Amino acid sequence: MEQLVQTEVWKAHTLQELIQILHRLFSDDKVSVEEVQALMESYESNAVEWMKYAQFDQYRYTRNLVDKGNGKFNLMILCWGEGHGSSIHDHTDSHCFMKILQGNLKETLFEWPGKKGTGAMTKKSERVLEENQCAYINDSIGLHRVENTSHTETAVSLHLYIPPFDSCNTFDQRTGHKHKVKMTFYSQFGERTPGATAVSQENN
Amino acid sequence: RARCPRGWRAGSGAGVLDVSGTGLAALGAELLELPRLRTLLAKNNRLGGPGALPKGLGQAPLARSLRVLNLSGNRFAELPAALLGLRGLQSLSLGSNRLHSIPPEIQALSSLEFLYLGGNFITSIPPELANLPSLSYLVLSDNKIQSIPPQLAQLHSLRSLSLHNNLLTYLPREILSLVHLEELSLRGNPLVVRFVRDLTYNPPSLLELAGRTMKTRNVPYASSDLPGNLVRYLSLASNCPNPKCGGVYFDSCVRQIKFVDFCGKYRLPLMHYLCSPECSSPCSSASQSSTSQSESDSEDEAIVAAHRMQKVLLG
Repeated sequence: MEQLVQTEVWKAHTLQELIQILHRLFSDDKVSVEEVQALMESYESNAVEWMKYAQFDQYRYTRNLVDKGNGKFNLMILCWGEGHGSSIHDHTDSHCFMKILQGNLKETLFEWPGKKGTGAMTKKSERVLEENQCAYINDSIGLHRVENTSHTETAVSLHLYIPPFDSCNTFDQRTGHKHKVKMTFYSQFGERTPGATAVSQENN
Repeated sequence: RARCPRGWRAGSGAGVLDVSGTGLAALGAELLELPRLRTLLAKNNRLGGPGALPKGLGQAPLARSLRVLNLSGNRFAELPAALLGLRGLQSLSLGSNRLHSIPPEIQALSSLEFLYLGGNFITSIPPELANLPSLSYLVLSDNKIQSIPPQLAQLHSLRSLSLHNNLLTYLPREILSLVHLEELSLRGNPLVVRFVRDLTYNPPSLLELAGRTMKTRNVPYASSDLPGNLVRYLSLASNCPNPKCGGVYFDSCVRQIKFVDFCGKYRLPLMHYLCSPECSSPCSSASQSSTSQSESDSEDEAIVAAHRMQKVLLG
C-alpha cells in the first residue's frame, strides 16, 4: 500500500499567528526557505492587525520592529511614502523575506560589483511585487534596491531577517563603491523610538 | 479591507474631506461653503479639464483655512491658477498628473512646506520656486528635468529633495550650501548611471589677460587711475578653485565637471570653473591664493571645494 507523505503546510490566519508559527519554526535548527516563504505568503494582510506598527516618516522609508524572534530573527514593518526608495544594499549574510502588506514595491536586482569595485553596477532584473506576494533574497543571489514607485499610494511591507543584523553595505550605482551603514528602527513594538539617526545613511 | 493612509489619526474627521477615487471630473461649488476645511484629498480622479475647480476658490473660506491639498493621480496639464489663492496652503501634491512646467507664480503660496510634483512631464524648474521661504520637502522625481537652477540653493529650510529619475547630468555647485539637507535622491539620472565630462574653453580676450595680470601680480591701482568700467571689471575677478594655481579669471574659463563629496555619502558631479585648461583639479596642498583681491568668489569657498576634492581623490 502506498504511503502518503504529507508535508506540513503552515497557514497564518493573523499576524499574531504568523509570529507564533515563526517562533515554533525557528526553535528548530533546520528551516527551509520554501517553508518560510509559503508561510509568509499564506498570511492575508489585514491592516487592522499591523496598523500600530505602520508609522510613516515624511522624508524617507521607516523600519518598525515587530518581533525580536528570541534573537534568531527580526520581524519588522517598513513604511514607504510616495516615491520613497532604498539604496542598493546587501544583506550581511542573512536570509531576507519581504512580503507586501499594502501597495506595491519595485525590486531591482543587481550583480555584485567586480573585484576592483569600479564601473557602473549591472542590473540583473526588476519586478513589481503586489499585495501579499513575498520575495526572498540573500547575498549569494545578489544585491537589490527596493522602491515605492507610486506617486499616489503609500506602501507597507513585512520583512523577516534570519539572523538579525543591524548594519549592511550600500552601493553607489555609478562606481560600485560600498559604504557600511548602521540600520536603526523608527519604532519598536509600536512605540516611536526617537534618538535614531536623523540623517539618512543611504545614498540613493 | 482596511487601508491605512499615511497621517491617519483617529478623530481627524473635523476639517477633512476625502473624495479620492470617486471618478470626479470637477469639484463642485459646494466646496466653497465649507467653513473650516483644512485637508482636501481628491487624488485618483478625473480632474484637470476646464472647470475642474470651482470659480471663486480664492475668495471662499477655505482659501484661508486649507492647509493640505492632494490632487495626485489626476489629469492636470498645468498648475491651476485658482490654487494660487490658497494662501495658507502648507502641503500640495500634484504627483502623477500631466504637468509640463511649474508656473513662477507658485511663489505666491508662501506658506508651502511640502510640494510634491513627482511623476509629471516637467522639463525645467523656475528659479521663483526658491522664493518659498518655508519649503522643506520638494519632490521632482520622475520628470524630464535637465538642470537645476542654482537659485534653489536659497531654499535654506529644505530638508529633503527628491530628484530621482530625471535627465540630470550635473548639479550646480551652489547646492553644497543646502546644509540642512537630510535626504537627496539622485538615482536614475545620467549623472549617476553615467557621467558627462564637458570641457569647453573660449580663449581669453586681451582685456581679460590684462585683468588677470593686474590681479595675480597685485599691480596697485586707485579708482582714479582707471576708467570706471575697468575698475568695475577688475572687481569681478573670480578665484580659480585650483589652489596650486592661485589665479583669477573673468569671463573666460574652463567649465569642468568634477565629482565632489556631499554629506559624506554622495559623489555629486558639479560644475567647476577653472581659469585655463592647464589647471587641474584642486589637490591636497593648501590654497595659495591668500593674497587674492577677488570680491565675488570667496576664498573660503575655494578652500572648502579643495578639501572636498581631497575626499574624492582618496576614494
